[in-house]
Amino acid sequence: MSAPARLVLASTGIHPERSRQLRQEIGAEMALEQLASGRLRASARVRTAAAADAVAISDRLQRVGVRAIFRGAPDFPTLLGHLPDAPDVLFLRGSLPSVPAVAIVGTRRCTGYGRNLARAMGAEIAAVGWATVSGLARGIDIAAHQGTLDGAGVGVAVLGSGPDVWYPREHRSIGLDLATKGGVLSEYPLGAPPEPWRFPVRNRIISGLAEAVVVVEAAVKGGALITARTALDQGVPVFAVPGDVDRPSSEGCNLLIRDGAHPVLGVADLIEELSLVMGRPPLVPLAAGGTPLLEALGETGSTADTVAAALDLPIGEVLGDLARLEASGTVRRDGDLYSWARRSA
Amino acid sequence: MFASTTSVALVGVDPRPVRVEVHVGGGGARFSLVGLPDTAVREAKERVQAALASSGYEWPSRTVTVSLAPADLPKAGSAYDLPIALGVLAASGVIDKSATDVVALGELALDGSLRAPRGGLAAAQVARDQQVPVVVSVDSYHEAALVTDVDLRPARTLREAIDVAIGGGSSVNVPAATQPTVERPVDLSEVRGQATARRALEIAAAGGHHLLLSGPPGSGKTMLARCLPGVLPPLDDGAALAAAQAWAAAGLPRSETRLSPFRSPHHSITLAALVGGGNGLPGPGEVTLAHHGVLFLDELGEFPSHLLDALRQPLEEGYVDVARRSGSVRFPSQLQLVAATNPCPCGHSGDARTACRCSPGAVERYRRRLSGPLLDRFDLRVTVSAVEATDLAAPPSESSAQVAARVAVARLHQQQRGTLNARMGRQALDDLAVDDEAASLLRSAFDQLRLTGRGWDRVRRVARTVADLADSNAISGSHMAEALALRGSW
Repeated sequence: MSAPARLVLASTGIHPERSRQLRQEIGAEMALEQLASGRLRASARVRTAAAADAVAISDRLQRVGVRAIFRGAPDFPTLLGHLPDAPDVLFLRGSLPSVPAVAIVGTRRCTGYGRNLARAMGAEIAAVGWATVSGLARGIDIAAHQGTLDGAGVGVAVLGSGPDVWYPREHRSIGLDLATKGGVLSEYPLGAPPEPWRFPVRNRIISGLAEAVVVVEAAVKGGALITARTALDQGVPVFAVPGDVDRPSSEGCNLLIRDGAHPVLGVADLIEELSLVMGRPPLVPLAAGGTPLLEALGETGSTADTVAAALDLPIGEVLGDLARLEASGTVRRDGDLYSWARRSA
Repeated sequence: MFASTTSVALVGVDPRPVRVEVHVGGGGARFSLVGLPDTAVREAKERVQAALASSGYEWPSRTVTVSLAPADLPKAGSAYDLPIALGVLAASGVIDKSATDVVALGELALDGSLRAPRGGLAAAQVARDQQVPVVVSVDSYHEAALVTDVDLRPARTLREAIDVAIGGGSSVNVPAATQPTVERPVDLSEVRGQATARRALEIAAAGGHHLLLSGPPGSGKTMLARCLPGVLPPLDDGAALAAAQAWAAAGLPRSETRLSPFRSPHHSITLAALVGGGNGLPGPGEVTLAHHGVLFLDELGEFPSHLLDALRQPLEEGYVDVARRSGSVRFPSQLQLVAATNPCPCGHSGDARTACRCSPGAVERYRRRLSGPLLDRFDLRVTVSAVEATDLAAPPSESSAQVAARVAVARLHQQQRGTLNARMGRQALDDLAVDDEAASLLRSAFDQLRLTGRGWDRVRRVARTVADLADSNAISGSHMAEALALRGSW
């Protein structure tokens, strides 16, 4: 099979599993011919795309700053390359990290607690020098990406649409940031719309890029649990954050723990556990805490009311101290929740 | 042949004296009433005739002309029955002319008894200004008694009214005041937890700042707002009278006259009911009923935008003008605004325990509705957290009285400076004494927290109040820092 034919086949945007079967059974060249001629059932768009010219496609890719990486090539992600259902071609904006990566995934409908925790994890993982992988979706995904950027780390976003299609649209700026400081990856061609079937399929890439998968919050049905299951199939260790047993957004995580996932007891604990799997982190963690007030905020942050009660201080004093820390960039605020700020980018 | 009595009409909430002139003479039993009367005033003839008959007097069988002057001032209601009756009897020589040297106000029942229409307070004010006695129904007594230095003569019937108008000293027994219609404020000791929100409430009360409470449903935002009147200092004579006047103009009696009024209109309220207006003579709206008190808007995001826009004049100027064909009427509306809102349509955005079900776009749209000029009015914006079980088990916290004592001290500082902190302009803010740490904190906040120019002013106003609560002349770093924490995050 020639590289041009593989590129054109990948650019048709057909389901990766169908593409894999066609390549195995009749080869990329024959598959393109039959798709274009209509001998294989295909939509009009796919038929046109199958007849396209490989040179024109690579020109277009170059113009928008996207690189095609072929499976088997030296720069194809090693871990991913070992999977039987790995994509044949990956489209990449930016670059892939050279350090080991941790995937942080979770539900789009997360709680403030989950969001803060994912962000703190992203920042801490960045701070110790590992890369993070997630899906640029709402909720946990985007919080983890934000944390990565907070910690000036390297992150990879794996999209369920073409590498030039941002979904949801408001995540475009974070996606572009990731592309400059890490990479934005997709197995789908330029312009591929964010169709619902594309998301569960790309989850195997998220877990395939990572040495470990952390599920922060997940419902019983949803993409996060699919990622965890593929990770288990791939032999990638899975970590899950335990939650209230009656909270829907934690049911998936608790289920994973029952089925043998490592429970996460905190951000520091996660780093420690990850070190067992991934080896020593490249960098030393930033010292967090230091003052009673910062200690009282804890890893996941808390409200001024809680801190004042814990330290038995007048609320006015606590509010003032927190505002000072916020003004100096040590503490971050989201609504009434204060938490440690991470090393800023 | 001729007699004239004084009565009163309301323009907005202000009393205007009305001369009720009666001429009896000529032949033919005719009756005419002039001077922009509305239907209720026109019907006075029937009521007065019947009441006179029931009281044992006879209606003169000559031409009766009644003029309500000034003629261009619209008059409404049944309040002129009593002055018309007095005038008719005096002009036809049945009773002594001295009976008309009073301010009289009252609706006559057909059996001759005297009822209380709106305007009892206004009548007493006119009587005070003109230095004459005022005759009203006993039911208007408590309302009219708010005015000091006036010879107040209550009566139950037309006959009693004539007696007291002529004879002076009244022997009429006045019933005790009716039950308070003003809701008692909630006491702060009933609010568990919510340290930040309590503190914000205290600062709002001390400096007169508008306060925005944002938080999930059931977090106690409404309860907190209802605590505010109990923490505010008692109204002084002028404010108590002004508030009572506003309520009286709406026909609502105010018995707790020293307590700041508290109004909480629902978001389905009409424009006229919110800022004043209505059919016929414009009446006061909720913003006027909250004069010298608190206007609480629950679910601020649910209020249609035209209502929120209409709040601009009352908030900026302290009064509201209601336009009418005959010119506009001005209603006072110096109020403190407290608003509560969910952080997003489902209410759980930012909640540590419950997931938000709204899309980010919906949250953004929801907040944008509130943003802009109105949001800028709130010096204090705090997030109220959902109540924790541990809070409910905690011992009761400080009572309203304890907080009110500190608020009183802070108000004293502001009285000496001559202005409420919430009303300080840019110039006054620039002149504030600020220590070095506070100044540098404000500068770093400007960079780090992306404070806007208006935000800068808000923080300084609140910092001044925090300093007043701490009995301090200069704004220190701690005062400024606390003000920064209460500025709100969106």
